[in-house]
This record gives sequence, C-alpha cells and structure tokens, in this order.
Amino acid sequence: MRHSFFMVLALACVSTIALVSHAQRVPLAYGYNINGQPVTRLAAPGSEAIVLFFVASDCPISNRYIPELRRLEKSFAAQRVSFWFVYPNVGETPEGVRQHETAYGPEANILLDPHHQLVDLTHVTVTPESAILVPEHADAETLRTVYHGRIDDRYLQIGRERPSATQHDLERAIADVLQHRSVQQPDGPAVGCGIIGQP
Amino acid sequence: MTRRSANHLPVTLLGTAALLTLLAQLPHARVRAATGPVTFNRQIAPILYNHCSGCHHPGGSGPFSLLSYADAKRWGTTIRTVTQTHYMPPWLPEPGFGNFADSRRLSDEDLSLIKMWVEAGMPEGESAETPKPPIFSKDWQLGPPDLILRVESPLQVPASGTDLFRNFILPVPITQTRYIRAMEIKPGAPRVVHHANVLIDRTASLRRQHPNDWKQGIPGMELTVDSGESFDPDSHFLFWKPDSPALIEPSGMPWRLDPGNDLILNMHLKPTGKPETVQATVGLYFSDKPATAHPMLLQLEHDSALDIPAGDAAFVIEDHLKLPIDVDVLGVYPHAHYLGKKMEAYAILPNGAKKWLILIRDWDIDRQSVYRFQSPVFLPKNSVLYMRYTYDNSKANIRNPNSPPIRVKAGNRSVDEMGHLWLQVLPHALPNSNQDPRLLLEQAWMQNNLRKDPDDHTALYNLASVETISGDYTSAETLYRRVLARTPDDVRTLTALGTALDGAGNWQQAQAEYQKALTADPENTDARFDLAHLEFKHGSYAEAEEEYRRLLVETPKDASAHNELGAIFSATNRPTDAQHEFETAIALDPGNFDALYNLAGIEADNSNLPRATELLQQALKQKDDPDAHQLLGNIYAQSGMLADALEQFKAVQLLRPHDTVPHRQLAQIYSQMGQLPDAISEQSAALAIDPGNADDWNNLGVFHARNGDKASARKAFERALTLNPQHTAARANLARL
Repeated sequence: MRHSFFMVLALACVSTIALVSHAQRVPLAYGYNINGQPVTRLAAPGSEAIVLFFVASDCPISNRYIPELRRLEKSFAAQRVSFWFVYPNVGETPEGVRQHETAYGPEANILLDPHHQLVDLTHVTVTPESAILVPEHADAETLRTVYHGRIDDRYLQIGRERPSATQHDLERAIADVLQHRSVQQPDGPAVGCGIIGQP
Repeated sequence: MTRRSANHLPVTLLGTAALLTLLAQLPHARVRAATGPVTFNRQIAPILYNHCSGCHHPGGSGPFSLLSYADAKRWGTTIRTVTQTHYMPPWLPEPGFGNFADSRRLSDEDLSLIKMWVEAGMPEGESAETPKPPIFSKDWQLGPPDLILRVESPLQVPASGTDLFRNFILPVPITQTRYIRAMEIKPGAPRVVHHANVLIDRTASLRRQHPNDWKQGIPGMELTVDSGESFDPDSHFLFWKPDSPALIEPSGMPWRLDPGNDLILNMHLKPTGKPETVQATVGLYFSDKPATAHPMLLQLEHDSALDIPAGDAAFVIEDHLKLPIDVDVLGVYPHAHYLGKKMEAYAILPNGAKKWLILIRDWDIDRQSVYRFQSPVFLPKNSVLYMRYTYDNSKANIRNPNSPPIRVKAGNRSVDEMGHLWLQVLPHALPNSNQDPRLLLEQAWMQNNLRKDPDDHTALYNLASVETISGDYTSAETLYRRVLARTPDDVRTLTALGTALDGAGNWQQAQAEYQKALTADPENTDARFDLAHLEFKHGSYAEAEEEYRRLLVETPKDASAHNELGAIFSATNRPTDAQHEFETAIALDPGNFDALYNLAGIEADNSNLPRATELLQQALKQKDDPDAHQLLGNIYAQSGMLADALEQFKAVQLLRPHDTVPHRQLAQIYSQMGQLPDAISEQSAALAIDPGNADDWNNLGVFHARNGDKASARKAFERALTLNPQHTAARANLARL
C-alpha cells in the first residue's frame, strides 16, 4: 500500500525536493559537474522552471534525442527556464562526458548524478527522460517536481518508432508551467535505456 | 537493338517489434535443472557472441559492444526486453514459412536463458567457463580486393531529421570484362547506414542524367536505370545490411561487369543525434571464369493498385505470375514502405500444393533484408507465384509517415508506398532447345505487367525486345507501335522498331524509322549506329562509311563503330585502313570479340599466322564462337598442327551439330593424320546431313580407296557421278580403281 501510494504521488507530480537542510542551513549537492565540483544550485533566483534531461553517453535513443533537446533549449531560452543535461548512470565519468560533448556538441549545464539523488527525486527510470522542477520560493532553493516522463511520443517501445513525434509532451508541460496552468502529464511511458545504479 | 528495363531499387525506413508469448510455454524448470544456474560465462556469452556481437563490437553497426561480461551486464535489461519482443536480433520472416539460410532468430531456449539470467541478477559464473569473444577485424574479410571503389564525395548526415536515401555512383575503371565472385561493402559509418543495395548501371545512365551533381549522390528511394542494348536481365541480389559479411556468390554464378558500367550504391541512412560523415567503399573480387549458371531476378508487384484510403487498416494488393518453365528459387526480397504490414508470398504448384516462400507478419522497412533459401526451392513449370501484401494506413500504425493519415498511392517518396516481391530464380535449361530460358521468364513477367496495365511503357518495350530476340518481328513491331502511339517521338523505341523491321526484311522501312529517330535526336548514337549498320548490310558502303565517321566524331571511343568501319574498309578492299580500325577498336576495348576476329582474318590473309592465332585465342576467351573456332582450326591445319586443328573443328561441330562443314573438315584432318576409319565416319556424318553433295561422295570414295575398301569406294564415286555426271574427279578416281 505504501508503495502504491507513492506511485500515485509520483504520477501526480507533487513530490517536493528540499535540498536545503532547514535545520542546519547547509546546502547539499545535486551532483557534480564535469570538473568534479559539486553542483548546489540548479537555477538562479527568479527562474520559473528547471528542466532536467536525463541522458547517457552510450544510449542510442538518448543520443538520437539530443537535437530535440537542443531545440527545446533554444525555444525556451528567453523565458527564464534553466536546462540541465543529467548523466545518471553509474560508470559515467567526467572524461567520458567530455568526449560525448565533443561528439554531440557542448552543453552549458551538465551534471553527473551517480548517487541518483535527482533520479530518486524525479522518479525517472530510463534515458532519455525528462523532469520539470519549479521553485517553491523566489530563492529557487526548494524545488517541486511538476513533470517527469517522456519527451515526446516518437518511441512507443524500443523498436517501435514514429517517423517523427506527433505529441510533444515535455514541450507542452513547460508551456503549462510558464503559463501557470495545470501541468499535463505525459500520455505514455518514456522509452529508452534503463538507468544504471550501484551494483 | 536497344532495350530498357526498370530496376526499382527498394529503400526504406523504421522499426518494429512483435510481442511474444513463447516464454509462457517454455519448460523453465527443465532448462534450469538441465543446465544449472544460468551464468554469463556458461550460457549467455555463447548466445551473444553468436547472435549479437557481429554488429555489437567496436566499429560495428551496433550502438554498443557486447563482447564482455561488463558489456552484457550494462545492457542486460535492454537485451531481455528487445529479445523477448523479437526486435533483436533483426529477423522478420515467420518461422515455418520458408527455410532461410543465416536465420538470425533466437531459439526459444536462448530467449528463456536470457530472461532467466537477467531475472537472477545477471551472474557472471566461473571464469574457467568463459568462451573467447570473437575477434573483428577492420580489414577486408577476404583479403585485399582486386578492385576497390570509393564514393567520390563524402556525405554529411545531419544530427537529426528524417531518414536519408541516397544513390552514390561508382564508375568502374576496368578495360575488360570482369566476373565478380565476391563483394564487400564498407559503409564508412556503419551506425548510420541501415542497409544498402548495389545496382549495375550498364550504360552509366544515372551518371549521364546527372552530369553535374552525381558525385554528391542522387537522392531517392528507388531507381530506374537503363539496361543497355542486349538482353541482360538483373541477376543477383547485391544487398548489404549491418552484419552482412562479404557477399560470396555460389560457384559458377559470378556477376559480370563490363567497361563503361557503373555501380550504384543505394543507401538508407539514419541520423544518430550527431553529424556523421559517410563515404562508402566497395571491394570487388574477380573470378577468371565467366558464369556457367545464369540466375535472373523476377518481380511481382501491383503498384498501380496502391490507392490506400486514409484510415484503412487492412488494404490488400495482390499479384500472381505463372512460371513458363522449371526454376529454382534461390532467394526473395520483399519490399514496401512504412504502411506495409503483412507480406505473404507462396507458390501454387501444378498439382495444387501450396509452397510458402515467405511470411512476414509485421513488416518493418528498417529491418528489410534479402532472404536466401537454405537450399533452392524447385518450382515446376506452370507453378503460379502469388504475392499478397496488407497495408495499415490507420492512425494506429505508428510508422505511418502521415499524421493524420492521408490517402496514399504508389511513389518514390517515403510518404508514398510500394509493394514489390523480388525473386532470384535459376531457370532450368529448356529441353531440346538452345534458347535462353530467361527470355521465357522475361516474356511471362512482361505479359503479367501488361495484364495489370496494358499501357505499361516498360513492359511493352521489354516484351517487344524479347519478341525481336526470339525472331517474332511482327509481334515486336506491333508492340513497339503501341509504345509509339503514346510517345511518338521516343527515339529509343523508333530505333528498336527499325531493328524489328530490318529483322522482318523491311529494310527500307527500318531505314525510315532510324531516320525518324535521328530527326528527333540527331545526337542519338544508337540510331546512327543502327542506320549505318543497315546501310552496310545492304551494300551502301559509302553511306554507311559516312554515318560511322559522323558517329566517331561524336563518340571517338566507340569501339564497335571502329570495328564496323573496319569491316566496311575490308569489304571495299582497303585492308590497311581496316587493320587500323580494328586495332583501334581493340585498344579501346580489348575484349571486343568482333574486332579481334576481324583483325585475325586480316592477319591470316597476310600469312601472319602467329598473330592471327593469338587474336583468335583472345576472341574465344570472350565468346565460344563457331566461326572463330573454325578460322583457328584452319590456321592450325595450315600450320601442320593437326591435333590442335582437330580440337577446334570438334568445337565447331558441337556448336553447329547440323552443319556439314565441321564434319568435312574433321574428315580431312583425320585423313591427313592417317586415321582413315575416323575420316570415313566424319565424311559419312556430313553425307547423312546432306546426301546430295557430289564432292562429299567423291571424298568418301577417296577415303575408302585409301583404306583398301575398293567396293565401298566404287559405290561412293558412282553416287557422286549419279548426282553430277560431269564430276571429273569422281570419274577419274573411278577409272583408277
């Protein structure tokens, strides 16, 4: 029952992320960047939304989505939305991510999440998958997940792929956030490579 | 004579999967009990190495490697998912509906083992049990090729977007005919290339259509190329998919490349998320022997019936073709675009039995392939081939390129459809006939196309060409005129009609058609060549010479025109000029049989017998021709090389079994060799064919006399004198007895 209850919560996207210990006021890290430094802040104050793209350097479906992710970044660049490429797989290294950037193009915000803090908080299970976080307060330090799931409906399952997407779930959800509407959840599961955790 | 055929080259797109129910039926407990715990080292590694690593290795087409325990563990859950759905390994044919070589389908037991292994936490097992992973080399699999062709300009494939279909033209730099026993394609960027087909463009027609942009590759899913002047049907599937090894043809079945041919590499490219550069190379391996078996590609299709309403989830097209001769089916290549769903192909034998060729329940253009049978499928004469394809143009078909669905017809774009079934068949020889059995297949095929579309231009033209080759010039003329009724200025058809009319003996009408063709297109070299040839044949040497000279101004490297001009010089007693033209023709095309033979004749006349011998030997490597054997036999006989002469005349006799000449010549040689019984036998054979020749009777009498059989000699001389009372030799011989 407990498990089902959380599933409902997750699907309803109301889980709250509090990365600041209010008791001690010591910021925790979300993960670390490709220089090995901890990332403690995902968005500047005043941000309306943070979009996380969970990707993997060796996942072909994830790689094929990179141009679409870039299109979304560009599309919302002027609207106070922060975008992060999150590499959640255990085994991803800063050097490997650098090589991936060299092949697929540079990205401003990159985060490695080997301890699955963001994975656990957003409930993503595969790459590529996305999540939208919104700040609870203007300081952007307390975040709430309002969406997690597929980017669009291009893949129905591995091997069943549309020529092009007919429904852009993530794009619609970002627009909902920016227009302060109720955020529509994805209409189908995310399809890709399973996220690798600790052995 | 000219001929054109349409070689529609398939092309493709996206992915599929079929849900399976097999695992529920498997005796899990038995497998587990029999084998112990499922581990990578014991059970999983052999499955992966045999079925997956061929693509999944560094530099391979698979997106990741599967060559170690770490690899397998990383991708274990994905492997379980894609194998249970039969998405991987890619294999579309339904088991039990055609027995194919190199099936990639995993057995039920393998599927069960993979599932159990993943669910048990993917244990590694004992290291002592680890099999050695396969080794993949970047080198050519068969060693250095005899010829390597490289695409001229690399293509930049963008990071994203829809799939690309590109035709790269590869000119073939050869100066003599080559027979290809094997080919390997290195696509350049294997993860981008979904599949590739190679077409032989006999006349470099695509390159001529795109003189300025051919090096960049020509976009398009399917192609039509010009097959050239002679009956030369496509014969081989030259298909590449990601794990294709070097394509080795069966013994006796190499494919042919002539000087001037192009290869066209038709590639389906899929963006990977980052920009990629594709520059393919093709390695060719030569055979020193021409083909002894001649397969042919046949096609069933019904594109004209493709008119699929939007939303129709089960639209069906069908085609059938009755086989006029016995054949062995060697392989099949089904093809549709994104709406194709179910493909059925089978034959109904004359006894009513149904023989499946292939069944695909869930077509996926992304995973198309040529399927070769494990052993040839024999279909007797009068078997009927059937094709039945079902299309899903509903919204539920996720591969539907049109959203919302729209009415779809046949076409070359990815949003259009196609429905083709290609078959590679090896026709059996016709009993009691030297006719090429492929002509009968071509005839049946084209008649079938005309049944579906009476105005099918290509079918009318090709059927007319078959009739011309078969000597039915009247039928050919009728068919060509049907083409011209719709396209009156079609130069190719005007020229071909001229050839048919000439064959029928209407040479003045033929001349008029060639002139009409040249009026429509004064640059057309085929029409000018044929007109010149016609004039030469009818003794109009000056006119013929003028036409050939004009032709050679336009195409100075036309070896056949040089040869024909040489023949005119020979006919008009200008041997030095003739020799020069024949030499030029041979320099341009060392395998030009006619020029080799004609020059040999001049050399023989000039008593340059070694050179004549050399030329004829070269000519006979190109073609097993009775005239060349006969001339070479004469030269050997003249040189006193009687055993060699005998061999040549025997070859003539085999090629011309109803001709008296080789028997006579054999008789003369046997006589010179002192083998009089053999001489008598051959002379008698000549007389059995033509008993009315007085000279032959006289010669038979001489052989009998020399053999000491005066009675038989007398009878023979008397027979000669009965036939020709004035035969002085026979009379003198009779008197001497």
